[in-house]
Parts: sequence; structure tokens; C-alpha cells
Amino acid sequence: MPSRDDSGSPAAGQDAGQQEQERLSRRSVLRGAAGAGAAGIAAAALTGVAAPALAASAKPARSAEPGAASRTGDADTADQIVVHVRDARSGEIDVFRGTSQTSVRDRELAARLVRASRQ
Amino acid sequence: MSSHREAPEISQDPVADSTDLYAFVSPDQPDTVTLIANYIPLQEPSGGPNFYAFGDDVLYEIKIDNDGDGRTDISYQFRFESRFTTPSSFLYNTGPIGSLSDPNWNSKQFYSVTRVDEWGSHVLGHNLACPPCNVGILSTPDYEANLGKPAVHSLSHGTKVFAGQRAEEFYVDLGSIFDLGNLRPLQEANVFGAAAHLKSAPGVNATNRLNVHSIAIQVPISAVTRKGRPTIGVWTTASRQRVRVASHGAADGVSSGPFTQVSRLGNPLINEVIIPLGKKDQWNREHPSGDKEFAKYYANPELAGLLPVLYPGAFPHLAALDKAGTARADLEAILLTGIPSGLIPGFTNFTGSVQADMLRLNTSIPPTPTSSPKYSILGLIGGDAAGFPNGRRVTDDVVTIELRAIAGKVFPLIDPTYVVDGVVDSVTDGLTNTSVTNMPVAAFPYLGVPYDGYHNPS
Repeated sequence: MPSRDDSGSPAAGQDAGQQEQERLSRRSVLRGAAGAGAAGIAAAALTGVAAPALAASAKPARSAEPGAASRTGDADTADQIVVHVRDARSGEIDVFRGTSQTSVRDRELAARLVRASRQ
Repeated sequence: MSSHREAPEISQDPVADSTDLYAFVSPDQPDTVTLIANYIPLQEPSGGPNFYAFGDDVLYEIKIDNDGDGRTDISYQFRFESRFTTPSSFLYNTGPIGSLSDPNWNSKQFYSVTRVDEWGSHVLGHNLACPPCNVGILSTPDYEANLGKPAVHSLSHGTKVFAGQRAEEFYVDLGSIFDLGNLRPLQEANVFGAAAHLKSAPGVNATNRLNVHSIAIQVPISAVTRKGRPTIGVWTTASRQRVRVASHGAADGVSSGPFTQVSRLGNPLINEVIIPLGKKDQWNREHPSGDKEFAKYYANPELAGLLPVLYPGAFPHLAALDKAGTARADLEAILLTGIPSGLIPGFTNFTGSVQADMLRLNTSIPPTPTSSPKYSILGLIGGDAAGFPNGRRVTDDVVTIELRAIAGKVFPLIDPTYVVDGVVDSVTDGLTNTSVTNMPVAAFPYLGVPYDGYHNPS
């Protein structure tokens, strides 16, 4: 019977369930991105992180709910996207959302983010 | 220590730091196995007001390989959620905590258990209550009856779970061992101890009267083994999401991305004393199935070379092995493949040729009652096949077992002509399971009642 870990590379550092979850999430993200085109990812990234950064706006604080307050008080991560420009020259960008990670190559988007980071 | 603060990165992240892993056929339920993974090392019981808790942002797993390839076939995943009853108070508790639902308890924690296997992901339980930390006699009176035992949750198909604070049962003389490899009972023979005119002395249990956070699960043997393969390989991991954006002012922090492994533990003391400093973080990130990369450290452990240097003249045969560069196939078998049949009459926990650091438990070997003359905290080298390295029981003296194994105790299994150095059976840090104040309890989760903050330290 095949093992759940189909990656012999421990460098992945993830269990089989997580890898599968990641693949599923990645497919979901990619499906969504495919519908909107490549710019869909860029738009989401800019909406989730870059745009607020550009606008220097802060998210409203979430008030603690009596009786069941979260210890960390973190915002709901499901709708937030974190973008990591690994190499601005080649346009290599990692997009993190929920428990997924998508890697894209978009030199134009990378250049826009670099410009934004300098403002 | 077994795996406490064993690597540079994880020593900075205690809630994700696995400390000990146990796997044994349950002595009171011999048709089940008990798997225990401890986290958050060296908890001083009085460490309030924010007493210890699991990481809400950490994915904890106990993993099982049941077909010998060093890869996960079954994973039990644990996720935690903290809730404040009264966020406006700074107190952990606003009065005595008499039950798991007591409103006096301000900082509660709940968890879910999910089994992931070839058939998919199955939530076994959710919204399960952890017990509070054992604050003290006024805050947590009659701890075990009111809080400890009620935190054992019975799930479907004969599964039990527990997650929360317990007493540290691992015993080791850290202060001596990390002081230039000194063993107090033998310190007259230690090259530095002799120079300092130290005399033989009893061991000091550095982890006594400290607590840990335990994740324990008891499942039917049939739920984790494959037909005709009674031996399972077990390890635990902790994972974090790849990205963390820290809060700035308002509560706008976010964790994102796939979970990536930051800690793992199979056999005790491996990343501690076998893996070199420059490889420890990498070892924590990797899978057992890739441990062939590290096999050279098991085959030629640095400690085997140090013993003859630290104890001049005491280990002449071990020194000869070291000098010859002999690969320690005995250690590789015990720690990376399991012991093949034919080496020890009536015993094997061999899982195949894949080298993978896992705690291997042959579930067909019944537990040895503590009242039996065969019972030994030295496990297999003490003639008790129900103990380490056949899994690991809470009471097993893994420090002495591994010290003696590294010193050559079991090399005759590989080379019957090898003569074990006479001193090997005296090698010990001078501790036994009786060196622990709060000793194990008779029933699941077996680890002792956590030390309370009122009396500890005292």
C-alpha cells in the first residue's frame, strides 16, 4: 500500500496530510486565479496586503468577545494574503493565503511591489 | 536532555519543542497502545500568571509508519484554541478551580484531534478541554480528581486522549553530563573530575519537580498496525505556518501559508547527542524517510570517541573500535532499522532496510508487569523486551541504556568476538525511575500528577 507521504524529500518538511492539503489548496487557489487570469492573483495580493500598505491604513481592531476571547486576537487569516517577493529581478513571488502557498513569476507585479515598498 | 532544547532554533520556540516521546503497549489495556508526546520543556510549576499552554498556532502530530518505509501512514493531529473567560482580569484564575468548566478559571484551552490516514481526514474529537496548570493548593485543590482525570476524554472505537500539563517523568543528571561529560558515580575516573579531586557521588535529577505539557492518545493496536506487521514506527512533529506577520498595535497579526515542520522526535537523545550542532536544525525539519543522510552520525557517534578520552583507560575495547573507524552497525540497527530477528532470541522490531529514526514498537510483545522479576528499567539490555528500544515506557532509563549502548554493550550482537569493556555495566548517571518525585500513575495518561506551584520550588 502506498504511504501517504509521497515525497521522499524530507526537505519538504511536511506530513502527507499537510502536503495534500497544500496541493488541494493550491489547486483551489490556482482555479480561482485561472478564472481571473494572472492578474487575479496580483489583484488579490494587492488587495490583501500591498494595497493597505500603500494606503498606510490599519485594519480595525477586533474586540474581544466576552466568554470566548481568542488569546492571540489575530485577525481572520482566511481572507488575508501575504506576498513575499523572493527575487524582484526575475519576478519570483510567493503568495501565502490560509494554508496554501502559490509561487508565481511576474516581473511587472514584482516591480510594482518594489516601487510600493519604497514609498 | 532527551530532546529538551536540543537544537538552536527550537530552543527559542518552547511551545513547539518536543521533549520526550513514549510508545508502549498499555499495561492495563494490553489490546491498545499508548503514544505520548511531551512539549514545552522545563516548566517551573510556579511560572504564573501566564501559566504554560500549547501553541494555538502550532500543529502537533504523532505519526505512525506501519509498513517500514519511514513515511507517515497514520497521523494524529492536535490543534489548540485558547479562550479567556474574563479578558478584563490579569489573573489565571479568580478563585478555586473545581472543574474543567469552572468560571473561576480564566485562561482555558481546548483542542481537536484528527486522524489522517489513507482514507482521508477524520475528526475524532473537538472542543475537548485541557486541564489547567497545577497552580497551587488553593487554586487547584484535589487536582487529579477534579481536573486531571476529567481531562481524559473517551472517544469512539476505544480511543482515549489527554492533552495538558503533567509531571516530567524523564530523569537525567543534566548538570553533571553537560559539565564535560561527567557522570557523578564515576567522576573519580573522569579526567577533569579526577583533576578536581571529585569523589563518586549519587546522581542529581535535574528535571525533578518540573512539568511538561503532554499529548497522549490510546488506541487499539488493530487501529495502527497492518496485518502481519506488528511493529510500528512512531515519531512526533510540531509545525508552524510558513509566514507570521506580528501584530502592530491593533490585533492585526496573521499566520499564513502551509505548515512546515520545526521539530521532530523519535528515539530519545538523538538530536541531542548524535546529530552535530550544525545539522540539528535541519534534522528537526526533515522526515525519517530521509535519515540515511544522517546515518554516518549514528554509525560513528562523537560520544563513542569521547568516552575513552574522558575516562582514560576505562574503555580500551571501545577505543580500539573508534580507532579502527568501525561503523557501529549495532547502533544503526537499534535506532534506524530496528533489530532483525535472530540476534536476540524471540525478539525483533525490524521494520525493513529503510534507515529512519523512529521509536519502533513491536506490539505483539505483551507488557511486563512492574511486579514481574523480568521487569527492568533498562529494557532490552536488562532482559525486558517490553522496554526501550522496543518502544519506550515512561519509566525506562533511556540515559543509561543509550550510554551503555554507545559504550559498546550491544556490539557483540554484530561481532560476537567483541569483548565489552568491564566498566560498561557500571556506566550510569546515577538515577533511576525512583529519582522522580511524582511518579507515574497506573492508568492513562500514566504520567504523574503535575507539580503544583505552591510547593514547587520549595
